[in-house]
Amino acid sequence: MRTELIKRKIKKEFNGWWLISLIGAVVILLPILFIFSSLFLEPNENWMQIRQYLLKNYVTNTFILVAFTAIFTAILGVTLAWLVAAYDFPLKSFFRWALLLPLSIPTFIAAYTYRTMLGYTGVVQSTLRNHFNYQINPEWLSVSGIGGAVFIFTLFLFPYVYLITRAFLESQSTSYIESARLLGRKPVTVFLKVVLPLSRPAIVGGTVLVFYEVLGDYGVTSYLGIHTISTAIFQTWFGMYDVDSAMRFAAWLMIIIIGIFILERLLRQGRRYHLSNKSRPLVAVKLKGLAGVAAFIYCGVVFLIGFLIPFIQLITWAFMTFDKVWDATFFTLIYQTVYIAVISTGIILILSVVVANVSRSHSYLSVILSKCVTSGYSIPGPIIAIGVLAMFIYLDQWLAPLYSAFGLGEAPLILSLSIVMLIVGYFIRFMATGYNPVEVGFEKVGIRYMEASRMLGKNVTKTFFKVDLPLIKGSIISGFVLTFVEICKELPLALLLRPFNFDTLATKTYQYANDEQIYEASISSLLIIAISILSVIIIQLIGKRVK
Amino acid sequence: MSIVEIEGLTFSYSFKEAPVIEDFSFSMKKGEVVGILGQSGSGKSTILRLIAGLEMPVKGNIKIAGKVVVSDNVFIHPEERGVGMVFQDYALFPHMSVRDNILFGLSHMPRSERKLRLDEMLELVQMGNFEKRYPHELSGGQQQRVALARALAPKPNVLLMDEPFSNLDADLKESIREELGIILKKANITCIMVTHDRNDVQAICDYSIVIGESNTNSIVNR
Repeated sequence: MRTELIKRKIKKEFNGWWLISLIGAVVILLPILFIFSSLFLEPNENWMQIRQYLLKNYVTNTFILVAFTAIFTAILGVTLAWLVAAYDFPLKSFFRWALLLPLSIPTFIAAYTYRTMLGYTGVVQSTLRNHFNYQINPEWLSVSGIGGAVFIFTLFLFPYVYLITRAFLESQSTSYIESARLLGRKPVTVFLKVVLPLSRPAIVGGTVLVFYEVLGDYGVTSYLGIHTISTAIFQTWFGMYDVDSAMRFAAWLMIIIIGIFILERLLRQGRRYHLSNKSRPLVAVKLKGLAGVAAFIYCGVVFLIGFLIPFIQLITWAFMTFDKVWDATFFTLIYQTVYIAVISTGIILILSVVVANVSRSHSYLSVILSKCVTSGYSIPGPIIAIGVLAMFIYLDQWLAPLYSAFGLGEAPLILSLSIVMLIVGYFIRFMATGYNPVEVGFEKVGIRYMEASRMLGKNVTKTFFKVDLPLIKGSIISGFVLTFVEICKELPLALLLRPFNFDTLATKTYQYANDEQIYEASISSLLIIAISILSVIIIQLIGKRVK
Repeated sequence: MSIVEIEGLTFSYSFKEAPVIEDFSFSMKKGEVVGILGQSGSGKSTILRLIAGLEMPVKGNIKIAGKVVVSDNVFIHPEERGVGMVFQDYALFPHMSVRDNILFGLSHMPRSERKLRLDEMLELVQMGNFEKRYPHELSGGQQQRVALARALAPKPNVLLMDEPFSNLDADLKESIREELGIILKKANITCIMVTHDRNDVQAICDYSIVIGESNTNSIVNR
């Protein structure tokens, strides 16, 4: 009886949409399995040496980096979110969104900009020297080592915490905060006793995003010469051509990620308050006199250091090098970046729509499916890269008989030297970026229209094109824009998986910076930043129109 | 001949949960209007969804117009069952005009026939002047009439109506109920209607089934 029921269930649910979803899930999960399989192989000599002399150092560095960045981003993000959500002070409505802008500057660009700017020949020291005849100790200003990296990560990643916490405070905390105020508690007490504990899930959520960014970083750490597990993956791969050991590093990093994931759950456990559904916006208290000025200065300084100063610095450098850099090869660079981003984003969005449509049934299987396809977001780029590489090398070996049948030579590397590899990498990493808005779109629309359409004789596919697609168009566009921008900015995957002689804006920028051609890197940096800002504006506009 | 035959229908949301509907049997003839009465949560809407094919029973058979649509080893998709449904919230496609909503289920007909059927339906529900309007530009009663026209347009074997009056203001309800009764009779429609209000049944239905709280038994009272 039960087997027949299951058979019937399959008949009810299973269709082409499921099949495509399953294929997508397999492509996403296989590289991860490849990485874990490396733990069961006999370690080679390289790994023995790495483990004996280097591993401890790499792991410690990674931990210190992540821990300090997490603490500082949380402090910066939460205090700013609280100020903006609960108080009124000069230029507050400007800061409300302007404090998101640091996120538009990729951290590796911020790192080389600050390092150069604050360096001996940079604008700060030379101005002090030449105009004020003051020689500052270069040590004080140098952006280097773990301290420098924490500084950069904090300033340019805090918006994750700020954004999530602010959204939470603005929409869901009103009644509690107002009660606390009415009970006569002082603002500091309200913040410490009510705001902080209440918004813990939001703070943890934002900080975990920062964790993932830092763990997956290659640009900042390698530029500042810090050895982390992520940079080690690159070194063992490109320096020693030892894919096995690189995979072993990736597996270790993966275990840390899983640890963080469990930690996040633990930190949130028991903290799932039943929050009032009637969300009233929090009424901001006007800060008078000195307090208002202080709030203004705090937000202003963060905005200046986190966005305006590096941005202006990049613009001045861009003017200096414009004639040299802006030529035909630069257009090729833009074309290649847009080309690969559009293809990858297209694939991501198509699969997002298919999986999200399948997941509307909310069956166990479809929930697992949607978790699987979005799992790549929490996996750092270098891990995905090494997993994809291992999978493609295996695939090429497997297809070798076919290649030789087509006269392509004995055991050539066809797929693993092609652009397909990078597209698959992006696909795994950014699937969640495209999927989440689409899923939200489907949820808003509900299943009623779909059911009505099916009752009128249209099957799942026709229903999708005639009913669902027009209704979720806006969500698909936001998903597309978000994913497109992320791919344009992405560095580690592009560095590791691109074919020979293929550059994106991000890899070229990184190369310039690494070759100490800092000024030359400014134009491509500005382009990446411009794309990011533009996308934020587009999404805001879509959001307004939908309302 | 029975147009809808249900035998031993059992449904639960998961293997672990107790069934919402257990061993439910029922049959009705062509042209009858039947009410299903019951408290909220008694599973009466679920019966409609099972007939429609939007849910799948654990056990039992359903036959529509002599054809088995679900049994131990059969499952016919909703779009192939020839069943019309008016949802509680009407579910009119918000991005389509009244006209396009009604035409939606007619794509299998030749173009000329489609237009005829559309006009016929608009006249039946007296919405001829509103065909270019969009759902949000209509009142609740008007939306209901469009939903009815849309469900009837493809000539379903049976029409299912889920709490058709629950979204209407109380003072409107009576006149609309009367209107609906007239339309159903005029078009000679076989209809199953779910409601929690006995007055609905008395006004429109030929007879009704009461689903009790234990919902193991169904009582038929003519």
